[in-house]
Amino acid sequence: MDERLLVEQLKQGDEAAFKIIVETWQNMVYNTALGIVQNAEDAEDIAQEVFVQVYQSISSFKGDSKFSTWLYRIAITKSLDHERHKKRKKRFAFVKSLFGEESQIMIHPPDFNHPGVVMDKKEEAARLFNAISRLPENQRIAFTLHKMEGLSYQEVSDVMKTTISSVESLMHRARTNLKKTLTDQLKEKK
Amino acid sequence: MKQRPDINQKVEEILQSLDGMKQAAPAPWFYTRVMAKLRKDEKTGWMTMASFLSRPAVAIAGLCIILVMNAVLLLKQDNQVSTAQAYANQDGQVMSDNEAVAASTSSFDYENLVQP
Repeated sequence: MDERLLVEQLKQGDEAAFKIIVETWQNMVYNTALGIVQNAEDAEDIAQEVFVQVYQSISSFKGDSKFSTWLYRIAITKSLDHERHKKRKKRFAFVKSLFGEESQIMIHPPDFNHPGVVMDKKEEAARLFNAISRLPENQRIAFTLHKMEGLSYQEVSDVMKTTISSVESLMHRARTNLKKTLTDQLKEKK
Repeated sequence: MKQRPDINQKVEEILQSLDGMKQAAPAPWFYTRVMAKLRKDEKTGWMTMASFLSRPAVAIAGLCIILVMNAVLLLKQDNQVSTAQAYANQDGQVMSDNEAVAASTSSFDYENLVQP
């Protein structure tokens, strides 16, 4: 069904249109969140929140960009908010533990295994995800959208509201940082 | 340094490990869970309002507004009292004038009026 028509119907409160929207874009939203937060449960929660926000604020979507671009932006914002919230909680738990209060701190989260990765590459992919999680936010978003979502540099620049050359630069820096982190880890291991 | 080419090769392998990966999908009945969350959000509209009002910044701002309004009302009341007093004094003056007129007219002889 036509994207614009669906959006118009949803603006009029049509739940059937909303159902089609959710079913069409749920994997895309879930994957984006999963790539950023690297946790299946959190990604599911975020994906739900994204669609709740879509339903509640569809009137603010003017159609200047593609609907999927708008969805990507919401998914990324929610994922980053979730991460910041988690980091704050971790810091707070750490401070509490300094004062002797019991709290659960996960200093080294377990390796993330993306369900879509080919079986014989699971170990390498887990290492890569670990290195990706250490990248600065912008580089991580550009890398996730390009490598995991398969977006072109033009599409990534639309989502991130930046230029193609900035995306190229972000990708270059991301690759350099990833290489450095991975090299250091492999050296330590040997 | 001997291991350097091995490490570089391994790093490249790791970097390419996401090539050909498939899209992950959320658990079944995703739409049902989204709708449940949406309904829950609608129900808790008042809760959202309450939590918004109980935010420290909002609560302090509200308190400040109430205090300012109280101060304004008090100042206004003071002004009103002083103007009322001024009016009362003025009225007293008018009343005493009236009384003087009444006193002067009370001795007037209405029965023996001289007709023109």
